[in-house]
Amino acid sequence: MNENETKDTFDKQAMLTNMADNVILPAYTSFKTSLDSLVTVYNTFKSTGSLTDFQLVKQKYSVAYLNYQRCDLFEMGPAEATIIRANFNVFPTDTAQIKSNISSGSYDLGVLSNIDAKGFPAIEFLLYGNNSTETDIIKSFTISPNRKQYVSNLLAEMVTKTNYVVSTWNASYRNTFVTSLGTDVGSSIGFLVNQINFELDYLKNAKIGIPLGKKSLGVPVPEACEAYYTSKSISYAKETLLLIENTYLGRSSSGSNGKGFDDYLAHLDIKYNGGSLNDAINAQFAIAKTKLNAIPNPLSTQVTSNGSTVDAAYAELVKLLVLLKTDMPSNLGVIITYQDGDGD
Amino acid sequence: MVTSKLNNFLFKQVNIAPLVVFRIAFGLLMFASITRFIIKGWVYKMYILPKMYFPFYGFEWVKPLSGMGMYIVFALLLISCLGIIFGLLYRYSAILFFVLFTYVELIDKTNYLNHYYFISLVSFLIIFIPANKNFSIDNKLFKRPEVTTVPYIFLFLLQLQMFAVYFFAGIAKLNYNWLFEALPLKIWLPAFSHYPVIGRFMEASWIAFLFSWFGCVYDLLIGFFLFNKRTVTIAYVFVIIFHVATATFFNIGMFPYIMMTITIVFFKEEFHIKLINFLKRITKYKYLATQAVPIPHKSFAYFFLCFFVIQFVLPFRYLLYDGKLFWTEQGYRFSWRVMLMEKAGTAFFYVKDATTNREVEVDNKEHLTYMQEKMMATQPDMMVDYAKYLKNYYLNKGFTSPKVRAQSFVTLNGSGSREFINDTIDLSAQNNSFLKNKSWIKNF
Repeated sequence: MNENETKDTFDKQAMLTNMADNVILPAYTSFKTSLDSLVTVYNTFKSTGSLTDFQLVKQKYSVAYLNYQRCDLFEMGPAEATIIRANFNVFPTDTAQIKSNISSGSYDLGVLSNIDAKGFPAIEFLLYGNNSTETDIIKSFTISPNRKQYVSNLLAEMVTKTNYVVSTWNASYRNTFVTSLGTDVGSSIGFLVNQINFELDYLKNAKIGIPLGKKSLGVPVPEACEAYYTSKSISYAKETLLLIENTYLGRSSSGSNGKGFDDYLAHLDIKYNGGSLNDAINAQFAIAKTKLNAIPNPLSTQVTSNGSTVDAAYAELVKLLVLLKTDMPSNLGVIITYQDGDGD
Repeated sequence: MVTSKLNNFLFKQVNIAPLVVFRIAFGLLMFASITRFIIKGWVYKMYILPKMYFPFYGFEWVKPLSGMGMYIVFALLLISCLGIIFGLLYRYSAILFFVLFTYVELIDKTNYLNHYYFISLVSFLIIFIPANKNFSIDNKLFKRPEVTTVPYIFLFLLQLQMFAVYFFAGIAKLNYNWLFEALPLKIWLPAFSHYPVIGRFMEASWIAFLFSWFGCVYDLLIGFFLFNKRTVTIAYVFVIIFHVATATFFNIGMFPYIMMTITIVFFKEEFHIKLINFLKRITKYKYLATQAVPIPHKSFAYFFLCFFVIQFVLPFRYLLYDGKLFWTEQGYRFSWRVMLMEKAGTAFFYVKDATTNREVEVDNKEHLTYMQEKMMATQPDMMVDYAKYLKNYYLNKGFTSPKVRAQSFVTLNGSGSREFINDTIDLSAQNNSFLKNKSWIKNF
């Protein structure tokens, strides 16, 4: 008898349970709480128009956006059904479309043409503006009921969708999630691996690459940065990398580390370049974090003044992507696709 | 002497019933498969949604029809299946099915499956087989006499085709990784550790070896045991075991069910006669008179000799290329290499503008479906196709003589990802060709 036969098989259900209960649900719950409190303070600001209340709105807005960053990866089940990512965080936001919506006062947030005139980036533009003083911004709200209403409508859409996601997870999807134990297209592990890669690709391309000019012949596009008006692009990029790492490790945002893909790969004793694949992935996470940490906020000025530092971080994200998109799925029997089809 | 023996073997009269059963079974299976394909939304995802297609070498002129066109093709395929099942305008139906099915498969090599190649070949064969000469609407419609016996060659063609699939799949398994490393099954099986009863063995290496060797021996020998009338029954038990196992573990759609069903073409003719007589009874099928099918001209046999010789030679064309077959995939398709390796990759494409001498990085998702991207990332000839498409795309965007290069990282059977191709050459300037080596693929 070799040692393979005496060893227990990997408990995939335990991993998924950890993911659901310690990683995903707490992230959604914090986000929902912070979004609700943003709505509350915004409603107060709407009636008072005071500087204190406005500053409170901005503070709560930042907390809510940060908490959103911490669940952006989990676009599966109810979040996939409501298309959270494309409704909450399309950047750069279309300021002309926002202004035209506000001035006309009649718009349908559900249509595709408004996809980049809503969500967190649109609210950010309205709360922080472009080189305007707080007094000017507050005034723009107090004189325009349409503007006040616009932000209310944007928040309301996010609240509805978030409530749907959280309540569906609690009511039924958690159970579906932890009992789907395959690795095929549509299984929970299939979803997680694919979303880890989607998120990393999104970090590499949308959050870093495009501003850096990767799609514009090396000419930087500062205004394409996430959180352009609050200059938090790098903070959020780091947050996203941490989210990807946490999901890989099965670690909660508070830091308690349960069963994750690291344990799965280690259990199967997957090799890479003479060492273990898990070690290689962890090392690459560490390098990518270091390189990302070397970039100060805001990214919008760094892409022009400090391009090589940003490029160095980008290169490490590419290496991480290869490990997570090619080596991990190939060794776990997961197909990188959202498209089902027959194999050979 | 040998010729007369062979003549005797190929042209002896046998009962037509197995051909009729085959006709009905194949038609029903194809009807079900194509219905499933449509219901799953694959017509749209594979033949309408993509912005570009990956043609087969020599068939670059094959293009999808726009809009409703592809749905009409699939509707006609369903109609041709009905024609085959009922033996209604049978030969036209068979031709229509073969032409349309093969047309669809030739549009995009992303979707290439050995199973589809097999269906194309079988549907070509049935065009020439008089499977509608008994228990068919054609006989009723044209008041033809019912044929009861046919020369064995017609049945032999179908049996030989089935034999070929198994035998060459077996030959393909005769490689070091499959036999002595139990790869790729050692990678795939642990994913099923949650299965009841058998799950707890799935991470053990002995089970991967057991599956590998069983699969190899099965593929190599099953055809011989099916041909032998004394062993056909027990062989069929193994056919069921094998295909139920593959259906349980692998995402291979209808294929196991197709194989399990049409393998009955090897059954003794009494089985088929009983089945057809039963069907005739319940459908109250009446016929006028009987006759035999005349022996086809010798050239018929020679024609199919060529058909099979080509088919049997194709799997070995890889020997003409440099490099490791599984890595380069030069000469991989049309060779019955089924579920033989675990390969995955990530490819980054860059397009350089000659005026500014600067590069853009391409977001593959903007141009390819997930399936296309996944397939392209590990298959060099698809990279060339994609590079040519990108060259055109960026020309239209105003680039001056764009050059397309790619960085690609591929892992084969858990080898760990490594550089796949030379990342400095202009892929859009390369050409796919028959039998010409792609020197820009790196060594494994």
